[in-house]
Formats: sequence, C-alpha cells, structure tokens
Amino acid sequence: MLMIGVDVGGTFTDIIFTDTESGETHTHKTPTTPDDPSRGVINGIHELCQRNNVPAADIDHVLHGTTIATNAVLEHDGAVTGMITNEGFRDVLHIGRHQRPLNYSIMQDIPWQHTPLIKRRHRKVVRERRVPPLGEIIEPLNEDDVRAAARELRAAGVESVAICFLFSYIDSSHEDRARDIVLEEIPGAFVTTSASVSPQFREFERFTTAAMNAFIGPGVRSYISEIGGKLEAEGMAADLHIMGSHGGVATAEMVSEKPILTLLSGPAAGVLGGQWTATGDVERRNLITFDIGGTSADIGLIVDGVYSEATARDTSIGGFPVLVSMIDITTIGAGGGSIAYVDSGGAFKVGPQSAGSQPGPAAYGRGGAEPTVSDANVVLGRLDANNFLGGEMELDLDAAKKVISKLAGQLGMSDVETAEGVLTILNNNMANAIRSRTVQKGLDPRDFSLVAFGGAGPLHGADVADALGIPEVVIPPHPGITSASGLLTTDLKYDLLKTSFQISGDVDLGRMNADFAELEAMLLAQYTADGLDPGGIEMQRTGDLRYVGQGYELRVTVPPGVLDDNSMEMVWQEFSARHEAEYGHAFPDNSIEVVNIRLSGKGQMPKISRRNVTGGGTAASALVRTGSCVFRVEDRLQEFETGYYRRDELAEGAVVDGPAVILQQDTTTVVPPTWRAKIVLGGNMILNKGELS
Amino acid sequence: MTEVTGDRTGQAIDVVTASVIQGALESIAVEMGHKLMRMSYSSIIRESEDFGAALTDAEGRQIAETPQSTPLQSGPIPGYVKGIKQIFEERGHTFAPGDVIIHNSAYHGASHGPDVAFCIPVFYADVLVGFSVTTAHHLDIGALTPGSCGIVDAIDAYAEGLQFLALKIIDQGVRNEPLWQMLRNNIRASDLVVGDMDAQIAAARIGADRLVELLDRYGPATISAAADFMMDHSERMMRQAIAEMPDGEYSATTHLDGFIDAENPAHRDLPITVSLTVKGSDITVDFTGTADQVSDRPINMPMEGTTDCAVWLTLKSILLDSAIHGDVPQNSGMTRPITIIAPEGSLVNPIFPAPTIARFCTGNQAADTVMKALAQVVPEKVSAGVGNLHVVSFSGLRGGEHWVHMEIHEGCYGGRLGKDGMDAVDTLYANTRNNPIEDLESHLPLRVHRYELRDEACPPGRWRGGIGSVREVEFLEDGGVSVEGEGHVHAPWGFDGGSSGETAHMSFRPTQGNERRLPSKLPNLSTRAGDRIEVVGPSGGGYGNPFERDPIQVCEDVIDGYLSPERALTDYGVVITEELTVDDAATTRSRAG
Repeated sequence: MLMIGVDVGGTFTDIIFTDTESGETHTHKTPTTPDDPSRGVINGIHELCQRNNVPAADIDHVLHGTTIATNAVLEHDGAVTGMITNEGFRDVLHIGRHQRPLNYSIMQDIPWQHTPLIKRRHRKVVRERRVPPLGEIIEPLNEDDVRAAARELRAAGVESVAICFLFSYIDSSHEDRARDIVLEEIPGAFVTTSASVSPQFREFERFTTAAMNAFIGPGVRSYISEIGGKLEAEGMAADLHIMGSHGGVATAEMVSEKPILTLLSGPAAGVLGGQWTATGDVERRNLITFDIGGTSADIGLIVDGVYSEATARDTSIGGFPVLVSMIDITTIGAGGGSIAYVDSGGAFKVGPQSAGSQPGPAAYGRGGAEPTVSDANVVLGRLDANNFLGGEMELDLDAAKKVISKLAGQLGMSDVETAEGVLTILNNNMANAIRSRTVQKGLDPRDFSLVAFGGAGPLHGADVADALGIPEVVIPPHPGITSASGLLTTDLKYDLLKTSFQISGDVDLGRMNADFAELEAMLLAQYTADGLDPGGIEMQRTGDLRYVGQGYELRVTVPPGVLDDNSMEMVWQEFSARHEAEYGHAFPDNSIEVVNIRLSGKGQMPKISRRNVTGGGTAASALVRTGSCVFRVEDRLQEFETGYYRRDELAEGAVVDGPAVILQQDTTTVVPPTWRAKIVLGGNMILNKGELS
Repeated sequence: MTEVTGDRTGQAIDVVTASVIQGALESIAVEMGHKLMRMSYSSIIRESEDFGAALTDAEGRQIAETPQSTPLQSGPIPGYVKGIKQIFEERGHTFAPGDVIIHNSAYHGASHGPDVAFCIPVFYADVLVGFSVTTAHHLDIGALTPGSCGIVDAIDAYAEGLQFLALKIIDQGVRNEPLWQMLRNNIRASDLVVGDMDAQIAAARIGADRLVELLDRYGPATISAAADFMMDHSERMMRQAIAEMPDGEYSATTHLDGFIDAENPAHRDLPITVSLTVKGSDITVDFTGTADQVSDRPINMPMEGTTDCAVWLTLKSILLDSAIHGDVPQNSGMTRPITIIAPEGSLVNPIFPAPTIARFCTGNQAADTVMKALAQVVPEKVSAGVGNLHVVSFSGLRGGEHWVHMEIHEGCYGGRLGKDGMDAVDTLYANTRNNPIEDLESHLPLRVHRYELRDEACPPGRWRGGIGSVREVEFLEDGGVSVEGEGHVHAPWGFDGGSSGETAHMSFRPTQGNERRLPSKLPNLSTRAGDRIEVVGPSGGGYGNPFERDPIQVCEDVIDGYLSPERALTDYGVVITEELTVDDAATTRSRAG
C-alpha cells in the first residue's frame, strides 16, 4: 500500500510518503501557498514523487491535515450565511451566554456580536416548538414560514444556511424537513442542521456550532473538490481522507458536509504522531506530547496508550464555542518567536505576543527588533548560529545579543542572566500548562514521558521535564514533521452521540439499549457507505455523566452488549472514581445523571511502517565542534564546554552525555548537564538523567 | 539571576523568580475556580458562574484570584478575611490547621448574606502563612421568602436569613455537626445548598494544598517576597494609569429607582453622587451627597464587600482595560492608590442592622456613576450609561421539596468612542452567564417563550447604545417569583451629544386577570400554572451626536431590524430608500436642516 501524508502549516507544507510493504519512506518540505494551499499540497506531492521515483498513479491513499477551516474562522472569511430558527429566539447567537469575554474591560469586542457568523438580517424566524423531555410538539413546523424565509435568504444572496431549532437534539425531524424545503428554494445551497452537527443540549453552543459549520462550509467544500481535481489532474486515483480534530480521519465527502470536524486537524495529527512514535517504537504508555513552533505550544495527553478527548464545554475556536469531538489539546502562546519584555509596572514577561516568522526573532536577520525566545537560545549557545535548519539558514548572533542586551539593560541584569531568565519564564509557563493537565487531574507527571517535537520542542523538552519531575524526554526521528507522519497512523473515525438525561436508580434500560442500538446502526451504515467491512469496525461506547444538578459532565466508558443493572453499576462506579480523580472529591450519596451517550467507531486504515533512521557513527564521529554554553546547575549559572553533534550520524545505541547540543535539519535538541541522550529503536532519541534503557 | 535572599523587607526577589511564582499562584487560583464550578450543583454557581476563589497572605492581602469568576465574588475576599480575623481577635479565637471557617456577615467584609465564604487558614511549618478562600452565591440562605434574590422586603439584617459570623464549621478537621444540622434545618433546597458548600470546601482545600506544595518548592520567604513584588507591580500599574490623568475633581450623579411604588418619598429616586479627586498617582472617590440609607429595605450596600469592589473594579476596567493592557494581576496592591470616602449611614455605607441582601443593582449603579465621573477626564476609555440588571428568583414546591432557580437578566453597555455599546450582556462588576433554555426547561417547570433583543430600542448616538433583551417565561406549575431590578425610571445617561438609553420594564401576564406592570423591586409574588412574566432590560446610552453617525452604519441598523427608517430619519437625519440604501443627497439636506 502506498500512502502520502500532507500537513499544511503556516510556513511549510510537510509531505511524507510510505510504502507499507517495503517500509520505504521519504519526506519533503515545501513552502505553504497561503492564497491557495491546494497548490502547495500538489506541488509538494509532485516534487516528492519526482525526487524519489515514486509513481504518483500508484498511490492508494492521500491523508491530509489542513488549516483551511481554522483559518476561515480566525480570519472571519466565510460564506454569506443565513439562519432559520424559532420565533422568539432570533438572537440566541448574538446574546450568547450574556457573559463578557473579559471581566475587566470596557473597550473589548465580543466575537459573536462584533464579527457574527450570521448577521441579524439573515437570521429568520419561523413558527415551530418542541418541548422536553420527549420532544412533544406544542407548535408544529410552519412550512410556509420556512419557505418564505428561504426565499428571503436567497434574495439576499445567502449561499449557506444553518437550521437551528430548540430541542432538535431530541427529535431532528423538523430541522430535516426545513432543510429539504431550503434546498428546494435555494438549489445548491450548503445547508447545516444543528442536530446533524452536534445533537446535544445547550442552544447557544449548538447553534453556534451549526452556524460555524455553515459559515466555513462552502469554502471547505470547494477546497476539497479543488484538491480532488488536482490529484486527478496529476493522474492520481488515491482515496482522499482529511484529518479531523477528534484524532481520526474522515472521508472527503464527510468533511465536505461537516468541515467543523477539522478545526484542530494539524495539532491532532501532531498528538497522533507523538503517540505513534512513543507508544510504538519505545513502548511508553503514558505520554505528554509537546509540540512547540514559532508562536504556540500544543500540549496533548496520552494515558495508558489512549489520548484524552476534550469535554464539549471546553472546546472553542476564535472565542466561539464549538460542540464537536476534539482531542484535548492545550495551546498556550509560547514558542520560539515569543517576545520577552518588561511591562510598565516592572514585571518580566515572555509572550504571548510573537514575532512569528516575519520578521521573526532578531537572530533571523529579517529586521526583528524584539528579543525573543530564539534570541535567548542563540545568546546562550543552545542554537548554533552556523547550524540552524541543517545549515540552510545562518543566524545573526550579534543581532540576538543586541536585543537581549537591551532587555538586560531594562532589567539591570547581565545578558546571560537575562537570556536564561527568558527561558526560565517560558519553560515555567509551559510547565504550568502541563500541571493543569496532570497534577490538577490527579495524574503524577513522574509517571509520564514527554514527547518533544515541532521546531522548538526538543530545545526546551529537558528543562520543562526537569521542572515537573518527568523522568525522560522522547525526541522522534524527525521532530519537524511529526504531524505529517501522524497522518499515516490514523484510523477512519466517527463519533456519534445522543442526549439521554437518565438518572441512576431510575434508568430506562430499554431506552438506553435502544439508543445505543440506533447509534450502532447509524455508525455501521456510515462505514458501509465508505466501503469498509462493517465486521472490522471497532466500536467504543462512552457516556457523559454528572451528579444530578451539576452542569459539567465527565466521560466514562460504557460496557458493550445489552446493558443491565450490573453494567450500569460499573458505569456509576467508574464515574465516582473519575470524579474523585478529576476534582479530588466525590459525592457518593448523590444520584448520577447520564447526560449524553456516545459511540465512536474506528475503521482500520493502513499505517506507516516502523523503520530505522539512524546513522552508523558514534558520539565521537558525530561531533561537529565544541563551544561554550551556559546552563544553570545547582542554582548557579555556569559556562560549560559543550559538544555539538550531528544527529543523523548517530547509530542506534549511541550515547551522548550532556551538556550537548544535537543538530539536525528540522530542529535542535538540548541535552543539559546531568542529562544524557541515547539513540534507540526507530531512530528515536531518549533523554534522561538516570539509567538509559 | 541573583540568589533570592528572602529578606524580610520583602523586596529582595529577582524578577524571574517573581514571574515564575506569579504564574504558579495564578494557576492555583484557576484550578480552585475550575473545580468549584464543575463540582457545584446549583445553576447560579455552575452556569451563572456567580462564585469566586482567591488566595491571600497571612494578613489577608489578596495575592491571586481565579479569572473565571464574577468580579464581585473574588474582589471582596480580602474583606471577608479581614472580617474573620477581626471577629476572631475580638473573641480570642485562633486559627488552627484543619479549620474551615464559614462567614457571610455583610458588616464584616462579606458582600451580602447569600455570598457565603469558606476560608481555610494555611499553615506551613506550624506558622500561619495565608488563607485559601472560596465564595459563592447560594440558592437560599433562609430568608423570609424562597430564593436568595428578590428579598426586597426584608426590614433588617435578621430578616435576610442566617448570619454566619466567622464560625468554624470544621474545627481542626472535625465537622461541627450541630452547625451543619442547624444550617440544613433553616435553608430551603438544602441538599443543593449543602452540596455547593461541600464543593466550595473541596475547592478551598485544593488551593490550600497547592499553596503548601509551592511553599515546599520555594520556601515561605521567597513566596512572601514574590507576593510583595506582585502587589507592588499591580500598584505601580494603577498609579501610572492614574497619574496619566490631569489632577482635578470630577463629579457625577445618577439615580436609582428605589421602590417605585413606595409611599415614603425617601424610598424613591435615590441619588448616588461621586466626586473623584485625582492628585498625582492617587485617586479619592467620595460618595458624599449620596442618599441616606434606606433603613428598612435591603438595597443598602455594605461598604466593605460591595461599595469598595464597585469602585475598584470599575477603575480597573477603565484605567487598566484588559483589552488594551492585557491581564494586570488583580491583587491588594491594585487598590492601594484608591481612597474611598463613604458617609456612614448612607446607601453606600449603611449601619447595622440596615438590610443589604438586595444591594446588587445599587452597586452596579454606583459603578456606573464612577464611570460617569471619569467620562469627563478619559472619554476615550468609558462607555456612556450602562443598563442595569434584574435578578429574578423562580421557586415552587414539588413533592414537599423546594425548587429555586435564579436567573440574572442582563443589561447592556452604552456607546464607546469608535464602537457601539455591547448589546445584552452582564454589566460592570457582574459577569455571570444565563442558563441554557434547553437545560432550564428539561429540569424545571418553566417555559421560555421569548429571548431576544428588544424591538425599536436602539439608543441614538454617533456610537449607539447597546440594545437590551426581552425574556418571557411561563410557569408550568404553581410557584412564586421575586425580583430585584433597576432602571425602570431612570434611563442610562447619554454622553457627548448621544441620547439617553431606554428604561427597563417588567410585566406580569396572569392566566386570569389583566396584564400589569411590575415594579423593579418585586417581593415574592405567588403565581399559578400558565402565568407569565416578561422582563425587558434597559438599552444603554448613546455616545456622540447621532447626526455624525456614519449613514452606512445607520442603514445597516435598519437592515438588521434594530431601527425603523422613520427613526433613522428622526434620530439620525439619515434618509433610507425603499431598497434599504442611503439616499446621500437627501441625507445631506436633512442633516444640514
């Protein structure tokens, strides 16, 4: 099986090819083409195939990570979108939860009022009303209203419509009927119903999710058909799959309908890439994935080999809530380009403002005049001015020194103290973010490995691990293309859910079993439509549970098969244990409510093969030069004679003692004093302080 | 980076360590707030987010607060601690490890009775080093009518419900069972309330444990030095912002409805007067001229816990606006440059036992008055008059058990320089959330018939006022409703040629009998199944001359249904064609005329 993974980032489009039978693998980087990213994608595939004599026509699968949906939201560049909703509730999208994003601000803008996904003029109301708990109709759908609304929207030039009725998660038939009417009146329109994107309660969040899907829908749909057309023009017949935020891929057709599934496409692929490396090659089960680029750090968590998913109430983009399944990724504004400064009150801060890639850090020599994290790394000798990006780019050491020196002047500290201070503050910001995912959830970081990747992850991995007591850091062979390789490790994944509202002690098992059976039938029908054998589908049941009266749910696994009192008892017990772990407290006497039931399906896709990408040399033969580097040891800043090594020269089993800087084309790894690095299976590198395994 | 000396003067800390410790302390406060919100039961905490969490030092000075809280909850925490310490001193009580203290006395730092604090003294190596505190608005506190809002007819502090004056509800790790029992026996919906209190205690314990872990890492001297550094930093930020304003005195007055239908004129149309004196980097906020306290109605504001917070948080929102300055840490250093003068016996500094439970809207009006005074000196940083809020309590009996639901109905902001007002949001010192209709109707015998922006209530200005909301709710079973609201008589102020906003109003639509207007302060009203109540929130004041508003913007408002073409002409002098475009020539003529 021949596969290609393509991940489009802000600066580069990364491409990876693998032949699953021979294990042959190639990688390639090409500049991203922001005006039309599909051009960079096709160029990259074309170039990779040419350089490596890969016959494009024989490629079976193309797996694609894209930021097209994300950018449409962040740049507010979407379709002219309309909405059809209940009479009396025209402004649900506008009022939101009536909370200001900032506590202390008069001049703030509220995203849903300042840059609405759907303007009020395009929000039309119709007569319709269902009520809980069973979806009883107290006002039938007025089809004439819907038709009139659709005509008005068409006249106003609306090309995409969200249909959002209260309580549609109980029964979606009115939304479905309204969709049909809209399609009759506006042929070719992109129509989204709220129950189809996220059939769960909380109207502002669900309507916003539907509105966002509608807003980005036409653009994503045409992007995907563009890619499909260009692949065809290249003579390729490969199946196209798109990476979803939920940690699996979906078919091009599915994503064309529900682009909202792809909002965290790239970061999700990064978590999978880190997971693949560290669970496979080096057999670790508990991982913190740590992906640092120029502006941000993405942190994911893998417990016992399974990545954690975000709870629906915590997922948002551009300030808008979205209710779709996503890998739980914490993003903080901390990266190589993060700017260090002294605020007007005299506090020393790093980020979240970033110099980005243009102008970038001062050391890039592109006119950057603010001191950044990368400049601090240059001043301390951790980034080698002559060996950045495999020597493809020379860093301007003097420029870096100049900006750090200016900052040092403001702080009244030495240049070196200042540069080290920048890293200490940044590393602690990242450590706090990791604590919020581990210590604060009852997980001990000492039981985890940190998988550091992205352009800057390996520079900071050991220091951040140190701050948290994490015993080891795993650096994948190609840290800069971990997301692209993650694409080749995915499964075809679908998540379904249904709001349930059932309470312990009073569970209608018949309804619960019927609901799961309904979800299972839907899931299998989807896989059958995608051409997969339903027999090979792996299904996983979960539920969102809370104590009766609470407002936040926790995800708990639900046993397979027909549910009875015993299986529900297991569910209640797991919930109590989860609550205790998550919050440090449980309420054993209180009733528990099943808010949503969920079903995830995994259809196997072929995967990248394990391979060995190591050189044949030793530490001695990989040594490029030695130089002076500054590290803090036993709370004192000291200069150390430090070796700079070429990673691609190191053979499996090679050991490099810190202090050391290990160079490779897509990143630099820092091995502090008291740490050691060892090349292990698959070309991975493990950093730790004690015995090397 | 120099070595930390841990000097007792508290200044000997390097900026790097200070920054690292600040991040760690904030992260603790975030964790406390996050867990409290997620563990709690009643919607006023978990959905409306009417709770607070903060850490203080041993003196009670706040060193970190959770950002996910309503400002009026975390803000008063130093006052709660001060009150507890004072009472302990008077009684000769001492703090011990394992203690949890319950406190809600509005005359000892609490914001008002329903905002109950749980305070845990934190010990390190047998020395008291700080307090971990959570506050939250409880559904019921045993007042004369169900719920803990809309208790507008309480005649004194005793009628407002239970008063907890710094009691050890857990004494060195042992639960004070008689106290818990008494609390349960005197509070409606006590399962929910006690569940929320347990969540508060659990969250405060997390804060205390994490603080001890941080002390393990850095030692008490360094933490204390970092706390001093942080407070000094926030103080400097505030001082710089104050010093940027020219010295001078700036005054303003606004009016509260008070009790619209009261016979006693001293209960109606109550002035709040603020004189701000800027001198160098100090500011004095003087409430002299404000109405006397209303001795037998609970709209008086405790000086500590409400009045002070209204002032601090408004000054911070204007002078150190987070949208412009980023997050300036909220701690006790921030308030050092600010002096408040509040005449004793006035609405903003009542004398015990004057009732205070319904002081919410009064405080927000005080905040608005502070902004009105500041508008004269920093017009680019303020909004025109802000629309005040309504807090509504719905309740009933189901199988002998009370259900209580509180909903804060939003106000909105006035226009701002270069920006229209924010529509239908919580305002000033409050920042809660509404409840999803789909949650509400799934769990309570209520049905919402309308929730959207008001019709034809778009206050004119070059930057128009924010538009208020309208919400209509039906009782599906017999029950009761009570309300504390404001702004039915006095509209939000316009600024610099902008028009005044629109007043709020409220109607009752019984199944039997005629619709009638309700006053802004509504004592408990018994309702029958099918009865409806409609709350129409105020619209904010306009900013700047409406005849200078961009005609395109006026036209957009017409297209969006905020404004009729007729009002476009009368209010803005803009002529809108039948095709909903601007008639430029006619507009120029109309505006010139």
